[in-house]
Amino acid sequence: MLTTTLAQVRAHAGRVLASCLAIVIAVGFVVATLCLNASSRASVLDAVGAQYRGSAVVLSETGDRAEGAPDPLAAAATAVAALPGVRATALDRTTPVQLRLPGRSGSSFAVATGLADDPGLRWQRVSAGRLPTGPDEIAVSERTGAGVGTVVTLTPEDLGEVDAVPPAPREVRVVGVVDLRGDPRAGVTGQVFASDADLTTWGAATADLLRVAAAPGADVAALRDAVTAAVPAAEVLTGDEAAAQAAAAFTGDAANLTSVLLVFGAVAVLVAALVIANTFAVLVAQRTRELALLRCVGATSGQVARSVLAEAAVVGVLASAAGVGAGVGLAAAVSALVSRTTSPIPLGAVVVPASAVAVGLVLGTAVTVLAALAPARGATRVAPLAALRPVQPPPVRSRAGALRLALGLVVLVPSAVALVVLSRAGMLTAAVGAGALSFLGVLLLARRLVPAAVSVAGLLVRPLGGVPARLAQGNALRNPRRTAATATALLIGVTLTSAMVVGAASTRATATQALVAGYPTDVVVEGADAVPTDVQGRIAAVPGVAGTSPVTTGEVSGPRETTAGAQGVEASAAGVVRSQQRSPLPRDGEAVLSVSAADTFGVADGGTLPLTGSAGTQELRVRVAPDSEQFLVLTAADLRRLDGAAAVTVVWVRLADAGDRAQERAVDAVTDVVTDSLPSSSVSGVVAERSSYDQLLRTFLLVVTGLLGVAVVIALLGVGNTLALSVVERRQESGLLRALGLTRGQLRAQLAWEALLVAGVAAVLGVVLGSGYGLAGTAAVLSAEAPVVLALPWAQLAGIVAVAAGAGVLASVLPARRAARTSPVAAIAG
Amino acid sequence: MPEPHPTRTAPPPRRPAEAAVSAVALTKTYGRGDAAVTALDAVDVTFDRAAFTAIMGPSGSGKSTLMHCLAGLDTATSGQVFLGGTALTALRDRELTVLRRDRIGFVFQSFNLLPVLDAQENVLLPLQLAGRRPDEQWLRDVVARLGLGDRLHHRPHELSGGQQQRVAVARALLPRPDVVFADEPTGNLDSRSGAEVLGLLRGSVREFGQTVVMVTHDPVAASYADRVVLLADGRVAGEISAPTTDDVVDALRTLGV
Repeated sequence: MLTTTLAQVRAHAGRVLASCLAIVIAVGFVVATLCLNASSRASVLDAVGAQYRGSAVVLSETGDRAEGAPDPLAAAATAVAALPGVRATALDRTTPVQLRLPGRSGSSFAVATGLADDPGLRWQRVSAGRLPTGPDEIAVSERTGAGVGTVVTLTPEDLGEVDAVPPAPREVRVVGVVDLRGDPRAGVTGQVFASDADLTTWGAATADLLRVAAAPGADVAALRDAVTAAVPAAEVLTGDEAAAQAAAAFTGDAANLTSVLLVFGAVAVLVAALVIANTFAVLVAQRTRELALLRCVGATSGQVARSVLAEAAVVGVLASAAGVGAGVGLAAAVSALVSRTTSPIPLGAVVVPASAVAVGLVLGTAVTVLAALAPARGATRVAPLAALRPVQPPPVRSRAGALRLALGLVVLVPSAVALVVLSRAGMLTAAVGAGALSFLGVLLLARRLVPAAVSVAGLLVRPLGGVPARLAQGNALRNPRRTAATATALLIGVTLTSAMVVGAASTRATATQALVAGYPTDVVVEGADAVPTDVQGRIAAVPGVAGTSPVTTGEVSGPRETTAGAQGVEASAAGVVRSQQRSPLPRDGEAVLSVSAADTFGVADGGTLPLTGSAGTQELRVRVAPDSEQFLVLTAADLRRLDGAAAVTVVWVRLADAGDRAQERAVDAVTDVVTDSLPSSSVSGVVAERSSYDQLLRTFLLVVTGLLGVAVVIALLGVGNTLALSVVERRQESGLLRALGLTRGQLRAQLAWEALLVAGVAAVLGVVLGSGYGLAGTAAVLSAEAPVVLALPWAQLAGIVAVAAGAGVLASVLPARRAARTSPVAAIAG
Repeated sequence: MPEPHPTRTAPPPRRPAEAAVSAVALTKTYGRGDAAVTALDAVDVTFDRAAFTAIMGPSGSGKSTLMHCLAGLDTATSGQVFLGGTALTALRDRELTVLRRDRIGFVFQSFNLLPVLDAQENVLLPLQLAGRRPDEQWLRDVVARLGLGDRLHHRPHELSGGQQQRVAVARALLPRPDVVFADEPTGNLDSRSGAEVLGLLRGSVREFGQTVVMVTHDPVAASYADRVVLLADGRVAGEISAPTTDDVVDALRTLGV
């Protein structure tokens, strides 16, 4: 049977090409993720662990040390040096310093580290110059910005030790630049390296680490045990252990990223599995007569099934191998790209772990074979007699899976209800479970849902597309299982993408509302003294300013002999603040108090507050605003009646609802006006905060959409593949249609409509489902943080539908060309 | 309705004005060099209007190839084909397609109907492709004549072989084409259903004045025709007017079948 199988693979190479591509993409994605993770780990280990290079054993201090006690590591150094198998020891001291480069007005923070005396324990590699050899010579990291030969001013930080003489600045010469590439810490602060003696001079009294180099031939493990026995108070690790531990602290983020990427990889693999299952189902259907002939000449049903599985295995192995290659190539491309930019995750040379290769090969092959299981089982049901019957048109309707329908409903309905309830309650983990379960229900129901939706969509497009659209509708429905499987693959990607899009939009709306409630005023100009009316006018005249409202401030005293500052707002403030949710504006005769103000004055909501100022006394109705951070707010008129000296010292500014950039420009212009006329005043605004939040969400969305794009691309390959296989199957029909007068263009249009129906239905269903999941997810994640605002970004959702449907039509181009090339005679001849 | 006479430099030897379809020195070869097979060897033949003509011949005689070329399904290697006054050999694919749609009806041996359309949709398909509305009275007449009234909304797989062929005949007749080509229309039918379909084809000629050209290798089927054209080795080998089954069997025997 194996020869027959291999012959099948060769003969149908074109037909399984799409499955191969699906596997190549999915496996490539997973392998690239694993390789990038390994590369990143290796780079970090290499860079962060660099300081343990050459160290056989590393000692660090444990626990707190009593003040004034001697440095335990220094004492240990002497003891350890005497142990057999120890060649040299080095005490690593560090101390913070300030560096001032010539020509710079400010100084910058850096960490100074002492160099080991023993060359074998000096891990620092210089990219320029040399390491310091004498006093007041330093080597620096690139981050400091100093070059070889520069003389810089180094000021040891005052460590605040009692009785210590404040350290004096000193001139030191940069003799070398140390290469710290790949070390995530290198970008944060500058590093200075100097002799151990200098470090001691600069105030580094104690050492952080004691590193030990082993004599040639000494056993590292034995040495570690000996050191542990000699210095029980210290933590003792081998150099390799210490390097791994240090690296682990920095790769936590990378590990998170890897698991997120692998989730997207899993989605891609799942979608690929659907495409493969569909391909093999179609191949088996098309090969019914061949398989029946095999049964006629004596093949058992088991042999037939095994031949289908063997074919899947061959395809799986070949495609997985290609996928591994593609993945490694992708990882290399990404790391080449990243290494040219500054990235929070360091990437050096690409590392291809054997596990990534193995995972890729096993995963791809296993998924292919698993996906082919159901079609292989279908192949066993081919009766030998089928070989003798004339070719029959494929059944128009397959049997409805009542069990599947029932199971789908049983899974979907309760989990959907649970999803709504749990997400409203903000129970994230449970809601995610319910969401996943409900999606499983949707996938089970897809075989019923998709054909029904295609049927309805077909009715809608028939007036537009005429006969080709009518034929497309009929063709899309003639094999509901195949159509459903094709659409489901696309449905998954589109659902996840729209869930992310809706989630991001809702998060943005929620965050914006929370920001507005917390900071209801776009820009606050706060003068040290009164803000003159002409300056208020100039602020109001700044382009991009929609409105201003002056705020009067004064001093009043109330019950319990409390004197407090009060704000007086004008009626115009109502048009300037964006939200009164937390800080409501008072009416005349009313005082809005924060909770702490109410406590201070000893009044409650609805009561009266007698206030006295330099100009008079007044009783005001108390309104307590529980979320307000403003102590006491009155109307400006009331405040002036109380405090004769009250003056406008604050101006609230509302900006026009233009883009972030325009608003930032307006803030800059307001700042210019204010610093120009009132140098001691301050300008604050939340525009920058809002836009940085938006930027973050946009980036997140872009990345996620790109990752899900992999799954969508695989699904679209599936659409094209199913069409291509259907074209082969319907060769006779296409011929008949051409004989009856269907033009080539109409035949192509027919396939385009079919693709549009399948992809469009999948896209619309996916967007509807995804919107639901996005809204539920936002509610579940954010309801604990803030009142959730749900938002549906209609334009983006419409864009997703348009792109998916359009790409579906694009996927029909090649199969349609092939169909149109068929001559009518060849088709009738069969 | 006679077509306007096209202007040509060399008039064909025979092209009677009454001919619905004619072939002039029609040659069709497949393959090249040593492997070349001549399916049609300079065939000259005409088919009269409002007549039922059968093309007969042994397997490999070229009868199907002849029909494909006459119907604009296949292109000739050399020679010419006229549908009325239109030279098919001068047409490009799109023009040929439109010509088939508007002026030719087809009944094939098997796989005549689109499985996704019901009987009525199949019948109306050529008209819909042309964007034309059916003549309601004519549609009722044809459907009634073919006894399809209660089967119009069945899908092909719900119909018997004979019913499927009757739907195909209705589809071929509905646009009132210049000619209906039938390729072994009874090949897959039992004798009773076959007789029914042949009776319908002959009826369409007698009652509606339809031109029908049928390819068959069944002498009984050929006996329904007004005239039989015999083909052997890609050449016209004779013809029989008002044939009986016995005439046809005798004629075929002389051709060495």
